[in-house]
Amino acid sequence: MRLGRDSLAGLIFFAVSLILLVQSFGLPQLPLVPVGPGFYPRIVLIFMAVTSAALVVQDLLARRAEPADVPAPAQPQRAYGLVALSFVIVALYLVLLPLLGYRIATVLFVAALQATLERPTTWQQWAILAAIAIATSAVTYLVFERYLTVLLPRGSWTDW
Amino acid sequence: MRTVLRILAATAALAAMAMPAAAQNYPERPIKMIVPWAAGGDTDNIFRPFAPLLQKHIGQPIVIANVTGASGTVGAREAKGSPPDGYTLYAVHDYIHLVHYAGVTDVKYSDFEPICLLSATPSVLTASPKTPWKTWAELAEDAKKRPGQITVGATLGSTSHIFPALIEKAAGVKFKYVSYEGLAPRMNAILGGHVDLTDSNLTQKGKVDAGQLKFLAIAAEKRDPEAPDVPTLKELGMDIVYAVLRGLLVPKGTPAAVRAKLDEACGKAAKEAEFADAMKKQGTRVSYLNAAEYGPFLDKLDRESKVIMTELGLAKQ
Amino acid sequence: MFELLGHGLLTVLQWNYLVPLFAGTLIGVVGGALPGVTITMTIIVILPFTYGLDPLQGLAAMTGVYVGGSAGGLVTACLLGIPGTPSAIATTFDGFPMARGGAPGRAIWLGVWSSFFGGLIGGLFLILVTGPLAAIALQFGPWEYFSLFVLAMAMVAGLAESSFIKGLLSTAIGLLITVIGTDPIGSVPRFTFGSEFISGGFPFLPVLIGIFAFAQIMSDIEKPAVPKTPEAVLATQPSLGVSLGVSHFKVIGEILGRPFLLLWSTVVGILIGVLPAIGGSAANMLAYDQAKKFSRHPERFGTGVPEGIIASESSNNANVGGSLVTIMAFGIPGDAVTAVMLGAMTIHGIQSGPLFVSQQPALAYGIYAAYILAHLLMVLILAAGALFMLQITRVRLAVLAPVVLVLCVIGAYALNNTMQSVYVLLIFGVFGYALVKGGFPLAPLILGLILGDQIEINLIRAIMTDDNPLLFFTRPISGALLFCAALSVALAVWQHMRHRARTAREEAPDF
Repeated sequence: MRLGRDSLAGLIFFAVSLILLVQSFGLPQLPLVPVGPGFYPRIVLIFMAVTSAALVVQDLLARRAEPADVPAPAQPQRAYGLVALSFVIVALYLVLLPLLGYRIATVLFVAALQATLERPTTWQQWAILAAIAIATSAVTYLVFERYLTVLLPRGSWTDW
Repeated sequence: MRTVLRILAATAALAAMAMPAAAQNYPERPIKMIVPWAAGGDTDNIFRPFAPLLQKHIGQPIVIANVTGASGTVGAREAKGSPPDGYTLYAVHDYIHLVHYAGVTDVKYSDFEPICLLSATPSVLTASPKTPWKTWAELAEDAKKRPGQITVGATLGSTSHIFPALIEKAAGVKFKYVSYEGLAPRMNAILGGHVDLTDSNLTQKGKVDAGQLKFLAIAAEKRDPEAPDVPTLKELGMDIVYAVLRGLLVPKGTPAAVRAKLDEACGKAAKEAEFADAMKKQGTRVSYLNAAEYGPFLDKLDRESKVIMTELGLAKQ
Repeated sequence: MFELLGHGLLTVLQWNYLVPLFAGTLIGVVGGALPGVTITMTIIVILPFTYGLDPLQGLAAMTGVYVGGSAGGLVTACLLGIPGTPSAIATTFDGFPMARGGAPGRAIWLGVWSSFFGGLIGGLFLILVTGPLAAIALQFGPWEYFSLFVLAMAMVAGLAESSFIKGLLSTAIGLLITVIGTDPIGSVPRFTFGSEFISGGFPFLPVLIGIFAFAQIMSDIEKPAVPKTPEAVLATQPSLGVSLGVSHFKVIGEILGRPFLLLWSTVVGILIGVLPAIGGSAANMLAYDQAKKFSRHPERFGTGVPEGIIASESSNNANVGGSLVTIMAFGIPGDAVTAVMLGAMTIHGIQSGPLFVSQQPALAYGIYAAYILAHLLMVLILAAGALFMLQITRVRLAVLAPVVLVLCVIGAYALNNTMQSVYVLLIFGVFGYALVKGGFPLAPLILGLILGDQIEINLIRAIMTDDNPLLFFTRPISGALLFCAALSVALAVWQHMRHRARTAREEAPDF
C-alpha cells in the first residue's frame, strides 16, 4: 500500500520525536532545578509523538474509507525546479555575504534571482536588471548603515 | 556550516597578520560594540549613554549591537570570533567569569584584552511587599526557622544568584532559588509576591518609595546618599561588598597601538560629567580603571569567582 | 483628569513634539509595512535619536513608532500576504484573499479604520483603568502564566482549517523548535548533536521571517502560469483596483456595524497587552480565533471576510494601549518593544512605576495624548501614502522577490548582528515551505514558537517555587484558565466533527 502525504509527514515527525525522546534521557541533571533540562522537552516530544501517530492513523482510515482508484484532482503545472533554483541562489547569497560583503553580494544576488525568475532578452532589459540590483544594494546600504546605524556584513575577502 | 566557519577563521587570521600597517590610521570606520544582552536591559542602559561620549573622543561612530542569548554567552562567542582589529568592542560584566566556571561556555575573559573598567552597580537585597519582614534581622530569624523555604528570584549561575548565595553563607541560612532571568522579570515576580527576595539595585528606588518593595541591605562599603536609610551588609555583620562591574574588552590579538587609542579615548569619555550623571540614574557609580589596571583587576576577579563558584557548589567539575 | 488630558494634547500639538511624533509614526508605518523589519527593530533603530531629545519628545516618537508599526503591518499583510510584523499575522488570513479578490482598497481601509477604532478604545482603557488592570496582571504567578499559555495554544490550534490533528502537530513543532538549543533555566545544551551552530538555538524572529516570507514568495514562484501578484489580478480587473478609493463611510459603517466584534477584539487585545510577555503577535491571532468562534459562518473565514481583518487589526492596536498600561503603572515591559521604551525612560532618569502618573502627570498625560494623536497621524499617513503603498503590488515578482528577501536578510542579521540568524532564516524558509506543501497550518506553529520558552520557564518556575503540581488546578485563576483550555479543545473537536460531516474533504493548502 502506498503511503499518503500525511502518513509520510506523520511518520517523519513520529521518528524525530522518538529519537529526541531517547536523547532527552541523556541530559544532565542540575543541582538547583528539581526536574532537569529534559523534563519539559519530554512533555513536548510525547505530545508530538501522539499527535503525529494520530495523523498517520487518521490518514490511513481516510484512505480506507475512500476508494483507492479515485484519480487525484488535476493540479496546475507547478514550477518546482524554479523554486529549488531560487533556494539555491539564496543559499549562495548567504555563503557569499560574509566573504564579499553586503554591498557586492547583494548586487549579485538581486541580479541573479531576477534573471532566474524572468530572463531578460534585450540589452535594455539587462540594463534595467543591473540598475535595480545596484540600486537595491546602494539604497539599503546607505539607509541602514549611514542613517540607521545598522551595521551590515562586511566581506572578509574584500573588506568592503 | 562548519567549513564556512573555518573559512571565516582563516580569513580572520590573515586579516590579523596584515594589521600593523592599518593600526596607525585607526579608526577609519564605525566601531561595533557588542552588548550581550537585550536593548533596554541594565547593561544596555549603562553602555548606551557611554557610546556617544566614546564616539566624541575616538572620532568614529560607535554602533551598539545587542547580541543576545544563552545567558550572554552568544555575545561572548561572537566577540571572541570577531577580527582583532579594534572595530569590535565587547561590553562585559562579571558574568564572563561565572558562566565559564559554571561550565556554560568555554569562552574565558582571557580570550580578550582589557580596555577599561567603567562602572560598579552595588547589589541591594530586596524583599517583596507581601513578606512580613521589615529588617534584615527579622528575615534572618525567619530564615533560620524555615530553611530552604524562602524563595529567591535569580538568574541561575550569574551575579543575582551569587549575591544571595554569599549572604546565605555569611548568615548560615538556606534559601530556595527560582529562575528569573533578568531584572525586569524578577521585579514582576517580587511585586506580585511570587518570590520573597531578589537582588536588585538602586534603580528600583521609586518602587520602594511607593511601598511596593523593601530594600533590606546594600552590599556597598558605606550607605548610599540616594538611599541613606538602607544599611550596608557590613553594618549588619556580614563582610560582603558586591557590585556588578562593567567594562570593555577587545578580542585577543588586537594590536597594542589600537588598544592604546581606545584606552585613551575611554579614559576621556569616562571622566565626562555627562557620564557620571547618566550612571547616577542607573543606580551606579563610575568606577574607572585604565587598561593597565583593569587587566590585573580581572585576574583577581577571576580567581575570586572560581573560589566562590566552587564553595557554593555551582562550579562544574 | 480631562483637564490634564487637554493640557497634554495642547503640549503634544506644539511643533517640537508634533515633529518627533509624526516622524515616529511615519517610520513606524514604513517599518511595519516592510517584511522582515519588525516594530522591535524599528524602535531600536530610533532609540539613539531619542537621547538628544527631551523625555516627552523621545517617548512621543517611540509611541508613534509603536502605533504606526502596529498599523503599518496591515499594508503588507493585505497586499503581499506577508505580515509586515508579527502583529499582522492574522490580517493576512482574510486581508490577502480580499485584496486578491479585487478589493485591495476595502481590505486596507477596513484594516486602517479598525486599527484606528481599536486603538482609540485601547486609549480609553489606557487612561481610565491603568491601575485596576495592572493590579490583576500582577496577581499572575508562574502557574497562571503557564495555564494562560496553554489556553492560548488550545484556542489557536482550533484555527486549523483542514485538520485539528495537524493544528496540534503544528503547535508541537513550534514548541519543539524553542526547545532546541540552550535550555533557558540552566543553560544546558539540548538536542544540539554537538554542533555550535545549533547550541545558539533558533531565535524566534528569523524563524518567523523565514517561514512566512519564504513560504509566501516560493509559493508565488512555483505558479508561473497563474497571475503572480495582485498587480496581475488588478490588470485583469482594471476597474476594480487602480486606486484604493473606497467609500470611507461605508467601510467605517462596516466596522461600527459590528460593535460586538470590535469591542471584543479590542478587549482581547488590551488584556493580552496588559499581561507581560505575550505581546501583539499573540493578540491578533487570539482575536481572530475568537471572531471565528463567535461567527455564524466560521467556514468563510480565510476567504476574505471583513470580520477577520477587523478582529486582527483592532486587537493589535488595542494591544499597544494595554502594553503601555503595564509599563506605565508597573515599570514592567510586556514585550521587546516596551522593553526598549522602558530603557529609554530610565536613560532619561524617569522611574516608571505606581508613582509615575501622580508624580509626572505632564509626562504621563503627554504620552496618552501622543498615543491618541499618533492614531490620527497614522490614518493621515496611510491616506496620503496609500497609493504609494499600492505601488508595492505593481512591482513584478522577479523584482519584488529578491528585494523582499534582501530586506528579510537585513532584518534577520540586524536582530543580533550575526550570520547565524541569517542561516536560521534560510533553514526555516525551506522548512516552512515544506510544511505549507504538506498542508500544515502555520499559525499554531508560530504561536508555539512565541510562547514556547515562556511556557517552559513558567512551568519550571512553578515547580521550583512549590513542588505541589496540584497548584496548577487549585489556584483559582490558573484552574479557571485550564478549564477554559479544555473547553476550547472540546469545542474545536466538536466543530471539526460537524464540519467534516457536512463538507467533503478539500485539498486547498491552508495558508
